[in-house]
Amino acid sequence: MEMRFEKSSFGKRLSSMLKVDFCRMFTTRFLYIMVGICLVMPILILVMTTMMDGSVTVDPQTGVETVMEGFDNTWQAIGTVSSETNPMAMGLTTMCNINMLYFFIAVLVGVFVADDFRSGYAKNIFTVRAKKTDYVISKTVTCFVGCALMFLGFFVGTVLGGAIAGLPFDTGSAGIAGVVMCMLSKLGMVAVFVGMDFAASAAAKGRTWMSIVISMVAAMLLYMMVPMITPLDSGIVNVIGCFVAGGIVCVGLGAVSNAILKKTSLV
Amino acid sequence: MNAIEIRGLTKNFGSKQALKGLNMTVPAGAIYGFIGENGSGKSTTEKLICGLMPSNGGTIKLYGKDYTDPDVRARIGVLIEAPGCFPNMSVWGNMMLQAANLGLKKPEEEIGKVLKLVRMEGAASNKFKNCSLGMKQRIGIAMALLGDPALLVLDEPINGLDADGMRIMREVLTDITKDKNRTVLISSHILGELEKIATHYGIVRGGRMIKEMTAEELDAGCRTYIYLQAAERNRAKALLSCKYARVEEDESDYIRVYDEARAEEIVSYLYESGITVSEIGTSKIGLEEYYMDLMHEKEVR
Repeated sequence: MEMRFEKSSFGKRLSSMLKVDFCRMFTTRFLYIMVGICLVMPILILVMTTMMDGSVTVDPQTGVETVMEGFDNTWQAIGTVSSETNPMAMGLTTMCNINMLYFFIAVLVGVFVADDFRSGYAKNIFTVRAKKTDYVISKTVTCFVGCALMFLGFFVGTVLGGAIAGLPFDTGSAGIAGVVMCMLSKLGMVAVFVGMDFAASAAAKGRTWMSIVISMVAAMLLYMMVPMITPLDSGIVNVIGCFVAGGIVCVGLGAVSNAILKKTSLV
Repeated sequence: MNAIEIRGLTKNFGSKQALKGLNMTVPAGAIYGFIGENGSGKSTTEKLICGLMPSNGGTIKLYGKDYTDPDVRARIGVLIEAPGCFPNMSVWGNMMLQAANLGLKKPEEEIGKVLKLVRMEGAASNKFKNCSLGMKQRIGIAMALLGDPALLVLDEPINGLDADGMRIMREVLTDITKDKNRTVLISSHILGELEKIATHYGIVRGGRMIKEMTAEELDAGCRTYIYLQAAERNRAKALLSCKYARVEEDESDYIRVYDEARAEEIVSYLYESGITVSEIGTSKIGLEEYYMDLMHEKEVR
């Protein structure tokens, strides 16, 4: 009995894998919940901090007074200009901004990848796909798009939150172009975190908690660098730099993920 | 051509050696019954064939090509342990996902066809988590059948099913094994069911293949025995045991004589001792007994 097997190109394999992943990403509620959280979060942050701006709290033990400082400008929820960026500052405005989403990426990627292994769907995928590269590329691209939507959600939420709270939209020295470049740079950094978190998920497989913990620890190490690399007055150099870094991390850690999937049990 | 050719396959789980140089040959178009005790290495072998875990040594060839060849692997259908479906998604949704994974051109048409084959066309809109075990297994088979696989790997598809589920599954398995271009590797503990469909058998024990044979070879290798019912069963058994080497009693209270003997000889022997035989006949041992005999033989050795 002679069997003939149809040749399948890399492009064909990748497009079918992408179709599966996009279908899964956009037909499950999880992505919309995450985007919804990202949309609502800046509205709550901006409105609440504006309401509490200037209020004084006194520690009954020590008698120390703390003055609550809110956001001066809507764009502070996105970033600060490079001259004002202090990576070691631990204030409310420097912590409660769009950079928090880099931790959320860990949750989205972790749950999305772990679902394949927990449900057993990985068996269906890897039986018919000898090349793990298809899976690695497709998952990285899909997660990047999902996370980009979360960032877009936060941006829209920031604009709405700023309008509701009555905060100024003055872009100052950054200008509109700076804000756009800052967002693009942050998207470049999304690729860095997605690459990192996917590698953690590939190692953890069905153990969502493990993937999220590893990703969170890794995110903490990079977290302080993000405001410096992506200030509000970012330029094209920042954008290119962030995307190049994202590409390098995705390719490098993608190769690591590929090796992990090849060398370990998938069931 | 062989659909599967395995030589010297080894797999270790820590210090435990699950496969110890397993050899296996599955001819193309065969329905290969893969038999063995729990922990003998059946599932591990199947997972290795499907590329779901790396081996520690040996070679696996599928249709003459290395098992990592993407074009060959694209034509494998698999149901290992439980079907890989998303519980909150509908049966149809899960099937569509697998159809996309396989890059099928007419997914709706193909899904409809395989769901009909497994008698699940009415349950397409059900959520997977709401399906019974039998339904889930049939959905798993339907998924494995998508894309017209050249090789189908089914790991214990009958286990855990109730009588009705088993009956439907038997019909499904009979239908899907009608296609002579398809090779089916099926492992099961329910040997009586397997015997009805398999054309080839492989018996594995302790990570090694101890016997491979065709259904014809099994038939030829299965010894005949004489079964009988006598008035004084215990005395008849004791008397027969004195004359013949292997005399047993089965679960239906029949006495079985496995030695080369003729029925007339037994009847007259017992008659001389004052025992009347009410019923006597000859039969052949089935796969289950053959397997038990083989296991017993290996244990004694």
